[in-house]
Amino acid sequence: MERRQFIQHSLALGSGGLAISTMMLGLVRLLAPRELHASTQTVPLPGALADQAAFAAACIGCGLCGEVCPPRCILFYRREGSSNLNLPYINPEEKSCILCGKCMQVCPTIALSITPADKVKMGFARIDRAACYPWVDRGVCGACVSVCPLGDKAIGFDFGNFYRPVIKDGCVGCGQCVEVCPEPSLPIRIVQPGQQVPRKTHPNFPS
Amino acid sequence: MFWQRHLNKLRWVSLSLVFAGLILIPFLHLYQTYEATHSYDYLSSGEKYIYNTMELLTKPFTDDPVNSLDKIKGNTWSGNLFGIKISDPLAVVGQTFAGLTIYWPFVLSALIPVILTILLGRFYCGWICPATFLYELTDNVGTLLKRIGVPVSHRRLNHKLKYIILAVLSLLCALTGTMLFAAIYPPAIIGRELYFQIAAQGFGVGIIFFLFTMVFDLFVARRGFCRYVCPGGALYSLLGHFRILRIKRKVQACNDCVKCTAICQFDLDPMRDDFGQECNNCSACIAICPTDALMFTLNWKDSVYQGPGHLGHHYKQRPNDGAA
Repeated sequence: MERRQFIQHSLALGSGGLAISTMMLGLVRLLAPRELHASTQTVPLPGALADQAAFAAACIGCGLCGEVCPPRCILFYRREGSSNLNLPYINPEEKSCILCGKCMQVCPTIALSITPADKVKMGFARIDRAACYPWVDRGVCGACVSVCPLGDKAIGFDFGNFYRPVIKDGCVGCGQCVEVCPEPSLPIRIVQPGQQVPRKTHPNFPS
Repeated sequence: MFWQRHLNKLRWVSLSLVFAGLILIPFLHLYQTYEATHSYDYLSSGEKYIYNTMELLTKPFTDDPVNSLDKIKGNTWSGNLFGIKISDPLAVVGQTFAGLTIYWPFVLSALIPVILTILLGRFYCGWICPATFLYELTDNVGTLLKRIGVPVSHRRLNHKLKYIILAVLSLLCALTGTMLFAAIYPPAIIGRELYFQIAAQGFGVGIIFFLFTMVFDLFVARRGFCRYVCPGGALYSLLGHFRILRIKRKVQACNDCVKCTAICQFDLDPMRDDFGQECNNCSACIAICPTDALMFTLNWKDSVYQGPGHLGHHYKQRPNDGAA
């Protein structure tokens, strides 16, 4: 084959391949709905294996947990690469778990095991006292306390300071308080055991 | 067997039903969530349309859609059918390699497909797989493209490639500790991405891979992904090696018209009794045979080449001309 012909062929093939791949990528981007904002919190599913690597090995990515979820809170890593691809997560800022346990019952593998609602370990709620309305004396709220499915075991009011919420040891991290919180900066968050609380410090309200 | 030529229509009904189910189940899930929250008045017009359609579809069958629609969930990768969990055997293989542990409830969920595959061969690929539905339509598009002059390539690769891919990917699953099969197995991709698009966050990265496999089918090899790459196809072929249900040629009725060999998308040669473990019992060759010479039989071995068909031909007998 002559050199000119070879160059022509390779140019044609390369541009063709580029065109086809770009068309497909464009098609996917067009069909996909726009992301409103990047999710900031990813919480594991109720009853999930504690170890992330073990969960990635156990999950087969069938999407059944999402298909049975009544509030449709279970989302999936669908564009991220690496070992996270097709794994489920929950973003309580958008929609939170109601601890109904359907995903644990339907999961075919050991990725989700059947756990009672008060033994689930999805994380732990933390309150940023520098931003919460009652903690900074900007009105009464108590939304997080009234919505908590576990009630008095997980969240309560600080004694003598009405409507100032305090997290207790029974919290399983379902995130309903996060979903309901009216303060835009979301002073209540779900954190994982080894994770630090992202908080704004305030001189009058340490810790 | 004249009625067997209509099995191909039944196969298309089966493929269409499975594909329609994969589209319908996410919509039914949306309907369940709307119904459970009693939120009809707060829905947008499009959501109201989904609600009304699904209500119309499910009204004759159930009074309690919120709970009773949970009986049919999932996709062909792993599903929940009236309380029975059914998983793809490839999912079990991949998960066992990825986790390096055997979880018996999950292994048993693949029991029904495995038994059916041992008996019926690679029937999943021909009769159920939602990717087959799209690949066969792609193949028809390829025929159209060829008719208008676009070059469509029908290369032949070695069909042992898919067994090597199955082995290598299983090994990689064990090494990386992740389910790699879920990312590249077309029926798993289709079921999942349809759900993502309809009821979750929109198409994921798997759909790009699937479009690439369609282009591979069109411009590299006919049905190339199923025949040369698909690890699930490799597993089903291995399981169905000693299958009982086989297509057999009746040499007395065959007139050597080569229509069966031309229609076979898996590039097998029914006219020369060459089926093997690759045959997915799709019955397209039975449907096209003008003399009803091909039929399903219960036999655990393919017959050796029976020589040219006898119908309407008088051949000179040569010493090397087949077994007849």
